[in-house]
Formats: sequence, C-alpha cells, structure tokens
Amino acid sequence: MIHVQNLKKEFKKTVKEPGLKGSIKSFFKPKNEIITAVDDISFDVSAGEILGFIGPNGAGKSTVIKMLTGILTPTSGSCEINGKIPYKNRKSYVKEIGVVFGQRTQLWWDLALRETYTVLKEIYEVDDESFKKRMAFLNEVLELESFITSPVRTLSLGQRMRADIAASLLHSPKVLFLDEPTIGLDVVVKDNIRQAIKSINENEKTTVILTTHDLQDVENLCDRIVMIDKGKKVFDGGIDLLKQSYGQSRELRFVPVAVSDADKLNYGREFSLGESDLRVENDGHTVSVRFNNDKVSVEKILSYTLKTLHVKDISVTDADIEEIIKGIYKSGVSPDA
Amino acid sequence: MKFFKKIHRIFKLHRIFIKQDLKKLMEYKIDFLTGAAGMLLTQAFNLFFLSIIFSQIPDLKGWKFEEILFIYGFALLPKAIDHLFFDNLWAIGYFIIRKGDFDKYLTRPVSPLFAVTVEKFQVDAFGELVVGIALLCVSIPRLKLDFSPLNIALFIAAVFFATFIYTGVKLITSSIAFWTKRSGNIIYMFYMVNDFARYPTTIYNRFIRSVITFIIPFAFTAFYPASYFIRGGNALINVGGTVIAAAVLTAIGMLVWHRGVCAYESAGS
Amino acid sequence: MRKLLKIYKPFTHAGVLLAAQYRVNFVFFVLGDILMCFINFFLWKAVFNSGGAETFMGFSQTDMVVYIFVSFLTSTLAYSDGAYAVGEEIRDGNIAMRMIKPIRFDLAFLFQELGERTISLMLAFLPLVCGVEIYKFAVTGALAFNPLNFVLYLLSLVLSYLINFYFNVCFGYSAFVLKNLWGSNFLKDVLVGFMSGNIIPLNFMPSAVGTVLGFLPFASLTYTPVMIYLGMFDAPTIALRFGLQLFWLAFFFVLQQLIWNASVKRMSVQGG
Repeated sequence: MIHVQNLKKEFKKTVKEPGLKGSIKSFFKPKNEIITAVDDISFDVSAGEILGFIGPNGAGKSTVIKMLTGILTPTSGSCEINGKIPYKNRKSYVKEIGVVFGQRTQLWWDLALRETYTVLKEIYEVDDESFKKRMAFLNEVLELESFITSPVRTLSLGQRMRADIAASLLHSPKVLFLDEPTIGLDVVVKDNIRQAIKSINENEKTTVILTTHDLQDVENLCDRIVMIDKGKKVFDGGIDLLKQSYGQSRELRFVPVAVSDADKLNYGREFSLGESDLRVENDGHTVSVRFNNDKVSVEKILSYTLKTLHVKDISVTDADIEEIIKGIYKSGVSPDA
Repeated sequence: MKFFKKIHRIFKLHRIFIKQDLKKLMEYKIDFLTGAAGMLLTQAFNLFFLSIIFSQIPDLKGWKFEEILFIYGFALLPKAIDHLFFDNLWAIGYFIIRKGDFDKYLTRPVSPLFAVTVEKFQVDAFGELVVGIALLCVSIPRLKLDFSPLNIALFIAAVFFATFIYTGVKLITSSIAFWTKRSGNIIYMFYMVNDFARYPTTIYNRFIRSVITFIIPFAFTAFYPASYFIRGGNALINVGGTVIAAAVLTAIGMLVWHRGVCAYESAGS
Repeated sequence: MRKLLKIYKPFTHAGVLLAAQYRVNFVFFVLGDILMCFINFFLWKAVFNSGGAETFMGFSQTDMVVYIFVSFLTSTLAYSDGAYAVGEEIRDGNIAMRMIKPIRFDLAFLFQELGERTISLMLAFLPLVCGVEIYKFAVTGALAFNPLNFVLYLLSLVLSYLINFYFNVCFGYSAFVLKNLWGSNFLKDVLVGFMSGNIIPLNFMPSAVGTVLGFLPFASLTYTPVMIYLGMFDAPTIALRFGLQLFWLAFFFVLQQLIWNASVKRMSVQGG
C-alpha cells in the first residue's frame, strides 16, 4: 500500500550573524548550511494498518508526513502510495488521502462548521447522496451534532479536532494522515478521538499513519511503530517487539508492613546486579524495584522479597512504554531491528 | 468537453465561495460598510483634488478634464476586478507561507493557486468598481464617444487583459515569499506603481515612461487602451500591447509560482 | 523626569529592536509610498506647464514640490499605530493586564513607538530633507535653507506626532464598542489624511471649508508643520498655529485620560 524507499530531505538554512553588520553581510553573501531533516528512511505499510510515528521534537516526523502527503518534495529517494507518487500526481493523489495537522486547522475560521463541509464537498466532488450518508456516519463517530452550526472560531480545541478529522474523512480517503491529533487535549477528549480513529479504521479499513508524543496513543491504537531520531529510523516493529528488544525491565512494587524492614533487602548483593540492571526507590510507603528480566527471573525476585519481609500489597508489571522510549531517546542507540 | 467541465467546476466553486464570503460579510457588517466607505472616499478625494487642479487650468498637457476622468475611470475597472478575485495573493506574501498555512492548499484536489485565490472574494473592491463605472458614465456622453461593436469588444478585451497585468505583477511578487518566506512589502512597492497609470504618460519623463510601459507595464492597464477609445489611433499597439503585457506577465507569474511551490519548505519541523 | 525615563526606557529599547527587525519592510513601504509623491511631482509639473502662470493659488512650482515631499515625510513620521494597537489589546483582553500594572498605559505605548520611530527617522528623514533642499538649490540657484523655519518645523512635527498619538489612542478605545476594527481604521485614515492636508494644501480648498478644517485638530498634523517649513506663515500665524497644536494635544490627552479612568473604574466594578 505504502512503499517508502531511502527517503531523504535536506533544507538549506541561511546562517545569520547577529547584529546589524551581520545581517547586512548575510544579505549580500548569505552563508548557507544544509540540514538533513530526514535521512535515508525506508518502510512499508500495508492496507488497514495503523502505524505510529514517534520520536523526539525535531526528529523529522512531520517532514516525513509532509513528503508522504505531497506537501514537500523529497531531496532524494521515493515514496509511493497506492501506486501514486505524492508530489508528482498531486491532484489525483490527494483525493485518496485525508490529512489532519493537529496544530493547524483546515476549517474556515469565520463560518459555521457546517459550511466547511459544504465547501469541501464541492472541492472533493462528493455527490449529494454519499455526502448525506457520510455526514451521518461522521456525526455518529465524532459527535459533531452539538456544534455543527457554531462558527469555527468559537469551538473548543477538542471540538475543533473532531471537526478537523471529520473534514479529512469527508471524501472517504483510503489513507489518513494525522499529525499529532491529540496535542493539547484533555484525557477524556483524547480518549474520544482515539475511539473514533479506531472505529474508522475498523469500519472502513482505512490505513492510518499518525505522529504523536503521547504514548497512550501508541499503546491504544498502533499495530506498529516507527521511531525516528535525528532524521534516522531507529526502530520499526510492533509494540511487543519494542518491549522485547528494550523492555527487559520489570517493575516490582510492594508496601512493606513495617517500613524499616525495607532496609533488610539488598537486591544488588543477593543477585549480583549492577546499577544498569537494578534500580530501587523507596518513598517511605511503597518500594519499587526495577530490574532486568534477563539477568534475574521474576520468580527469584519475588521469593527473595517475601522471604525477607512481610508485605501488605505486592505487584509485578511490565515497564511502561514511556520508560522504554525515554531510555532509547536518551541513549540514542540504534538496534538492528 | 473536458475543458468545459473544468470551466463549469471553476465557476461552481467560485459561486460557493462567494456565497460563503457574503455570509461572512453579514457577520462583520459595520466593518464592511466602513471599509467600503473608505474606498469610496479615497476615490472621491482624488477626484476633488483633480477638480481643484482643473479649476485653474484649461487642460493638462493637452488632455481635458473629461478625458482625464475617462482614463481614471477606466483604470479603476481592471484594478477592481483583480482586487475582487485575486486579493488573497497579498496574504501569500504577508503570512500564508511564513506561517506554513500553505500546507492545506497542497492537500486539496485542485490547483493550489486556484485554491488560494478562490478562498477570498474581496467585496471591498466594489467601491472601486462603482466609482470607475460612474466616471465612465459621466465622461463618455460628455466626450461624445461613439462605441462601435468592434470597439465594445475591444473595450471588454482591454479590461479583461488589463486585469491580468495586475494579477501577473502580484503573482510574481507574491511568489517570492516561497523563497524569502515573506514578500508583502515587495508586492506593495510594485503594486503602487499602478497609480502612475491613471494620468497621461506624456506628463512623465522618459525614464518613468519606459518603466511603466516596458518593465512594470501598468500604463497598459489604463492610459494606452483608454486613449485609444478617446482619440482613436492604433488598436494593435494600444489594446494589443495590453494583451501582450498581460500574457507575458501572467506566463512569468505562473512559472515563478510553480517553481515556488516546488521550493516550498513549509514551517516548523 | 529622570525617574520617568528610567521606567520607560525598556519600552523605547524594545521599540528600537522591533523597528530594526522590520527595517527592510519599512524601506519597501516607504519606496512604495514615495512613488505617489513622484506621480504628484510630475502631475504638478504638468499643471504649471499647462497653466502658463508662475504660481498656482499662491504656490510656486518649487513650493509645490516641497509641499509634496515634506508633507509625505511629515505624515510618515507623525504616523501612529496607537488606534490599532489599543484596539487589538481590547479585543484580545490584554487591556486588563495593562490595568493592573503599575505603569501608565499610554506612556508605555508612546515610548515604544518613539523607539520604533528612531529607525524610520534615520532611514527617511535625512535623505528626504537633503533631497528637497538640493532640488530647491538646483531649481532656484540660491541656497534658501532657513534654519529658524527648520527648527520651528521640527518642534511642530513633534507636537504633530503627539497629537496624532493621543488622537489614535482615543480612537482605539472605540474597540470597546465596535467588534471589528479594520474598516473603521481605514475610514479614519482616509478622512484624517484628507483633512490634515496630505492630498492638497488646505488653502486650496473652497475658503469656508479651508477655514473650518484649519481649526480642526487634523490641520495640526501635516498642514501646519509643512507650511512652517515652507516659510509661508507670518509670525502671528505661527504663534496661533502653535497655540492650536498645544490646545489639541491637551484636549486629546485629557480625553484619553478620562476614557482610561472610566474604563478602569468599570473594570474594577464589573470585572474583566
């Protein structure tokens, strides 16, 4: 469905020296610097998949999306979606995709929301019959009813995002691109939006590509993630694979009956674990132990703990994905995934 | 057949957007009315200025008051039409590109240039249009101008092509923003040259005359074609020049625009 | 006074930086506007050629050229963005923030704009004044620069700016009532431009109209300074004109203060 090969994008940036003298100098003799925003990225997406793009700020996520949607022309490499090259067959290509940029809106600011849909209906040449059906469907999924007659400028951020997603889906695109669809929204609205994306994906087999900073989005929605950092792909695979490759750590949490008992525990000596494989935190109430599952089994840790002291409550969890990704961003290592 | 379908679609979209713009207008009624009053007054004051001048002199370098009024009125027509349909090009130069808002036009299944321009139907232009038509109505009977069918056709052609001289200049200068992010002031500087066109070019020195004839050919938006309708002369040069100037400027404009769209870098990361 | 300058200096500084950042835009804008001057220059040249007379309503051709360029200079330098700036603050609600700060709202704006003006002063003032004087010298063959008139002009220009500033601040308060500002601002600019003599000297107008306009505040904005520059006013007229300028400055200053106090009061009673 989507085939991306060695995609690369470079930007020329004029370096400005400070002060009046500097700007006069750069006016006559501009000093350029080439910045590689996206460096040799390849991946494939199959139909009906939800792919999450993650990476720190400035990693190049949006640049990739902009190339896939035909807004930017790649410096080199290629991308093909449904057999079309975005920046070459732009007009016919964009009829098959929907795009939402979370930080911008494509709605007409001064008009009632409904008017935006009437205008888009004409632009995308949707016939009356399908438009009616489509609006009913979008209404059901995104609950537009309550604000469809309000001017767009009066909508709350959450309403606006729902309206924007509906606008991008009006022409029943095969692929939906969402650039930070949950940015700035509260927990409940975020959840609504996720539900909507999911049901559209399930109902219509729409392929979804989204970028996000919110790892809840990733956990709840994505079949697969591609992580990029400094323009390069550092991970590509399912969430399970991510956890397997990086998430060796498990977390044991317990509440000791007597807080002072916690001092009796010394996991490091007992299992000869170094600092990189073990971290113990004690907040005076709950003790949390993060340990590398490859070096020591859950069973051993548990039995050692229960043998040494009495606990009121105990649990073992997988490390959450946030922790894993934080680790990868920090170390910046790229595995051969 | 495909061509007609395309034209039909363009008209349809225009109609829809005009309807939306009129709705918007109703919401900002006072703003529109005061703005239109401002446009009307600007022209009224200029005419007042001219009438004071002509109260003291019989003619200006051989041009009578009525003739000047005809040229002035003619000048306002293409200016108003361009203003009406292509006003959003200013926004390209001022902020659409700088803020990265151009992205959304690229994700629509119509040409980005059409998507940008169709979005704004600038009703303020009616101020200029009304004054222009009024001036023609006043000056034509006084000058006893006789419009043969051929001349009527030429008149319509001249106004139509003169509009694209304005649009062409705006297209070229606004496209600069694709590279520099911002070109509003450059558009302004070149656009202002159009004011030279409303007086006979014979009052200017040779340098200015050649600039407004050959380089930024605003003289073809008013004085050259208008003087043909007043005094006759060579239609091939006076009206033909307008057609050529419009064709050349629009062609350059389209070229620069397309290059610009390819060079567009969006904004943010 | 020194304390005042110390408090508001940061605003001036910010204004200078802001204007420096936009200096290229400013140059393009001035170049665009100056084209209008050249159109008028050629138009008047043709008028004098066609009329055959040496003077036009008391103006020689040189006077007229000086009027065109110096009135442009004056209106550019005395320009104030106050109406728009105040209107925006009212619309986006920032005005409430201004009310709780221990500084004067008008002075903060004024000092910032003065800072912005420094750049346009540097970029436009010298070239235009020199250009005009060189032109006068080239045409008349005599050095006719009058230092006294020039100093009086500068004084009048400063008053012109201050009047315009306070007038615009007062006008900006209309945003409390009007929803959108673009149209009313544009209409105001057109009317003020005409009434202050930007298009033609006020004495060219039918005498009744000219006299009335002469006493309105707008004559103080362009017409008065330029006529002083030209040396067309005798001593009593100059005194009268300065008197009028001071009167209108005081008028708008007090008016602005009254509106401000009223809105602060309203705000503290009704809340934001």
